[in-house]
Amino acid sequence: MSALPAGQFFPGQSVLHALDARAKLLGFFLLLAGVVCAASLPAYAVAFAAAGALLALSRLPARAVLAPLKRLWLFFVLIFAMNALFYERGDALWSWWIFRLSKAGMAQGANVAARVALMMVLSGVLTGTTAPMEITGALNALFKPLALLGIPAQEIAMILGIAIQFIPTLLEETDTIRKAQIARGARFESRSLWRRAASLPPLVVPIFLSAFRRADDLATAMEARGYRGAANRTHRRARPLRRADWFALALCTGVCALHVVLRVCVAF
Amino acid sequence: MMKLSLVKRSVITAVCIALCVVLPMAFHAVQNAGSIFLPMHIPVLLCGLICGWPFGLLCGLAGPLLSSLLTSMPPMAYLPVMMVELALYGLFTGVLMRLVRTKNLYADLYISLTGALLIGRVLSGVARALIFAPGSYSMAAWAAGYFVTCLPGLAIQLALIPTIVFALEKAHLIPQRYPKEELNEAA
Repeated sequence: MSALPAGQFFPGQSVLHALDARAKLLGFFLLLAGVVCAASLPAYAVAFAAAGALLALSRLPARAVLAPLKRLWLFFVLIFAMNALFYERGDALWSWWIFRLSKAGMAQGANVAARVALMMVLSGVLTGTTAPMEITGALNALFKPLALLGIPAQEIAMILGIAIQFIPTLLEETDTIRKAQIARGARFESRSLWRRAASLPPLVVPIFLSAFRRADDLATAMEARGYRGAANRTHRRARPLRRADWFALALCTGVCALHVVLRVCVAF
Repeated sequence: MMKLSLVKRSVITAVCIALCVVLPMAFHAVQNAGSIFLPMHIPVLLCGLICGWPFGLLCGLAGPLLSSLLTSMPPMAYLPVMMVELALYGLFTGVLMRLVRTKNLYADLYISLTGALLIGRVLSGVARALIFAPGSYSMAAWAAGYFVTCLPGLAIQLALIPTIVFALEKAHLIPQRYPKEELNEAA
């Protein structure tokens, strides 16, 4: 688990590091919408080219961003196989018992696997080039219109920011507790389902106690420093988006629009 | 439990959202554990029970979303269904915990938990049948998906969550629902 760099920020000087977090977050959602629209070979070529270009521009260690893909190879194989062998639409190329291999099924399997892989790379680039506090600030700014509907947008942004910052700490803590329980004889790898189930409470209860202790410490520290909710909080004035941020947003909008056009005009 | 300050509730909710990302990772180290033991449900249910329905609802919506963005689990195709299901659990545990007061912590917890799990399952089944998979979702699929496959997960939730709440009260990390003085006065 300690090898999982999910959501890890890598400080750097790249073009993507220098962009405003609001522009990066909006661009990320635009590209995500584009990926969801993708359903043809040219569309996937565009999506993979965009993801590759972003990875190169970010100057992040490619191994760290692509490592989660490698760890999930079995998931990708399974998703492809399940779709290829059980998809009910289209002409069957081969069938036996409950299995039915079809071209449409293989296309569907490739679709799902490619989308998940692209989303993982894009989210890796976003979290790798944006510090958690910047993401919190960006969420805060993007959620502001929700306040008009009476939704406590600032509170939600604060909660999400704290959650993102807690993830690496809790991952380390969980790993430590897991190793401690293995040293005490816990059998997480047992073949029996019930034995495995019985080994989980000694893992879960200490994780919750430790996490709530950390929450208690943080809440006490916040209250001691006078924090009484986001409504009374003052902010450093947010700087307006620069030309580079607008350019990045325009590029992402262009890629998203291209995906929509390809979706309408090109079949798989 | 209603004595928790707004700041503390917010931070506990943040921790529960973080646990929605961390716990499935820990469970995936155990083969097939994620789909059988439903690890993401535990922090959401706890958040609803301890912090109340608005925070439980937020945890149910944000937990799977953040996990999907950071670890791609659950996959995007399954994300809306899971967000609806977990949001309902968070919402109804909070609502029931507020309404049910039997003067016994375990009774309150079990009534709220079982009620929320049942209502959440029924409503997410309805949402699936009407919105996410109209026409192709059957009663058999609902019963198999929500009760049979995840039976070990349900058993673990019912055994673990009251234990965790009790342990948190003992450790003074959350206020006691029924302080001894209050019970003595009632007696």
